[in-house]
Amino acid sequence: MSSITTAATPAPPRARKVASRQQWIGLLYVAPAVALVVVFFLIPLGMTAWMSLHNWPLMGEHSFIGLGNYVAILRDIRFWNALRFTGYYTVIVTIAIFVVAFPLALFVERPRPLTNLYRTMFFMPAVVGFASASLLWSWLLNVDSGLFSPAAYDLGLIDRKFNLLATFQPAFWSIIVMVVWKVAGFTMIILMAGLQSIPQDLQEAAVIDGAGPFARFRAITLPLMRRTLALALILSVAGSILAFDQFYIILRGGPRNQTLTAVYWIFNQSFVSFKLGYGAALSMVLLVVLVALSLVQLWLLRKPEGLD
Amino acid sequence: MRNLIAKLALAAAVLGGGLGTAAAETANIWVRADGSNFMPRIVDAYNKAHTNQVKLDIIPNAEIIPKYGAAAAGGTAPDALSLDLIYTPSFAAAGQLEDITDWAKSLPYFTSLSPAHVKTGTYKDHIYGLPFSADASVLIWNKKLFKQAGLDPEKGPVSWAEIAADAEKVNALGGNIKGFYFSGNCGGCNIFTFTPLIWASGGDILSEDGSKATLDSPQLRGAIDLYRSMVKKDLVPAGAQTDTGANFFAAFAAGNIGISPSGAFAIGALNTQYPDIDYGVTFLPGKDSGWSSFAGGDNFVVTKGTTKLPVVKEFLDFAYSLEGQTILAKYGSLPVRGDIAKEALKDLDPRYQVAAEAMAKGKTPYSVVFNDLINSANGPWTQMINEVFFGDDVDGAIANAQETMQSIIDQAPQK
Repeated sequence: MSSITTAATPAPPRARKVASRQQWIGLLYVAPAVALVVVFFLIPLGMTAWMSLHNWPLMGEHSFIGLGNYVAILRDIRFWNALRFTGYYTVIVTIAIFVVAFPLALFVERPRPLTNLYRTMFFMPAVVGFASASLLWSWLLNVDSGLFSPAAYDLGLIDRKFNLLATFQPAFWSIIVMVVWKVAGFTMIILMAGLQSIPQDLQEAAVIDGAGPFARFRAITLPLMRRTLALALILSVAGSILAFDQFYIILRGGPRNQTLTAVYWIFNQSFVSFKLGYGAALSMVLLVVLVALSLVQLWLLRKPEGLD
Repeated sequence: MRNLIAKLALAAAVLGGGLGTAAAETANIWVRADGSNFMPRIVDAYNKAHTNQVKLDIIPNAEIIPKYGAAAAGGTAPDALSLDLIYTPSFAAAGQLEDITDWAKSLPYFTSLSPAHVKTGTYKDHIYGLPFSADASVLIWNKKLFKQAGLDPEKGPVSWAEIAADAEKVNALGGNIKGFYFSGNCGGCNIFTFTPLIWASGGDILSEDGSKATLDSPQLRGAIDLYRSMVKKDLVPAGAQTDTGANFFAAFAAGNIGISPSGAFAIGALNTQYPDIDYGVTFLPGKDSGWSSFAGGDNFVVTKGTTKLPVVKEFLDFAYSLEGQTILAKYGSLPVRGDIAKEALKDLDPRYQVAAEAMAKGKTPYSVVFNDLINSANGPWTQMINEVFFGDDVDGAIANAQETMQSIIDQAPQK
């Protein structure tokens, strides 16, 4: 903003000097961040785009093939299947996370005895890495030496050990439960911050006007949490579309390749089939999908006209 | 000051010494983690006996291929590596390996080298890889459980019907004891232990040159029926259905499995880590008679353009000597030189002899896309075996796998 003003109105030389020095100092401050973004994001992104235009095997010579990889993607049914599964998973897991996280946020928002203990407890799984959490659950879910199935068997609830990971539905829902356990605490904290930012007097005024708890939630809490909801939603959707660890570690894409996600497919193409160029092209497609989805979400949750 | 002079003198001496043995060179060699037992021993032995030296790096199994690819692209590839033999065709096809045909054929014992290794090491009539370590698939049975079940503990099953019958008897002991185990969601495990059942009965899953998938055969269906019937009768632990290979060895080692297909590696591992398990080793049988085995292990390959070829050759020559072969055998690999295998194994567990014989007549499928077809956890082979062993639609699964495998073969880069 300041650059536009300085350029538009010719300032006295001295002031201009100060202003430009301030700009330099400002640049200096953001330089480390810019350097990080350039080195670890922009350059790799450019390289990915460049590689996606090549037939680039892991070993041996690579050759330029223009849009050949992208044409191949159009015919790659297994990628589209993986993308469809990823979409299905994203919808289910996002709903599941919010259904669990919102009540938790309402529960821990107000100070009450032991609130801090509850907050810590609910948040705890979020500090575990996805890979370690997956390893833990892969043991819990194991039919012979794990917890759930053997425990149910020993308690006499089932007469034959049930392999949770052997068929699609139980395997898929086991993953959903695991992800909700792992992520809901984090979403809860974001939502809680949003809830706490709603001025108390608005709620009180509504109570005086005779609004019930549900009406208050719908007319005050939800609209004022738009930004928070947008943040939580985008984080959850982006995280779910990039899901990989849990499906790789617990299910290996099984049972029978029914839980191959888009990133899993990219990994397979790049490092199992050694087609780095094709993997790069798939990554670019996924990037476009992800950016588009995020824009749609931002648009849906934009500030309604006339509000603040 | 005196100190400084002393240091200078030492430096001069070192330089002089260095100049005196200017021929001494160091070659870098990589091996996958499967070789972490025998490889350091044989490298040590070589380094002690030679002026030239070998520097060894051990790389995790799953990472050695991508890591080597990245290193080759960056010009920092090792001079040679001990490579899972099934990858040799695809590495050679990528133009990554040095052609060692002339040298290989000049070896006096060339014809006694493991034929399965030499076959996979050959690409378009040139030799790019030579056998280094070997592992053959065999059938192992728990003698203690056989005895308890009233079976002859010294006699392993020699046909499919006997496998099923023995497994059922052992399974009848009840409790935690199960008759049979296999890793039902592991492509690599089953190409190693399940296809020999098919081969021994006269069938195959790929044509000789790897250009055609030939899944739909009566032999494959017969072997599937054997596994399905055992699953149906509950002779196999429920975890087998989702085992991606983690329990391939561990299940039998726990001591409550009657029979399990396994590999020669299990002999060394059981003897050292589970000395209480009393087990027998026999061949993987055909339907009514005969036997076969998957000849696995590593090929030794040389990175194209390396300047350390003489060192690499000297090292491989040492590995092929009786001393080298004995070290390999002692620490978990079968000998790869047929003519001196007996001698290299003579002081070891006699059960190795069965595995060595299996190795000598072992078979290895040949394909430049082996990883995509077979080993990949999401490839057609892995998907098919899981479906046909545990699912409902055997015909559909075979047809689907046949089609996918053929399309992967057809799409492979042709050079």
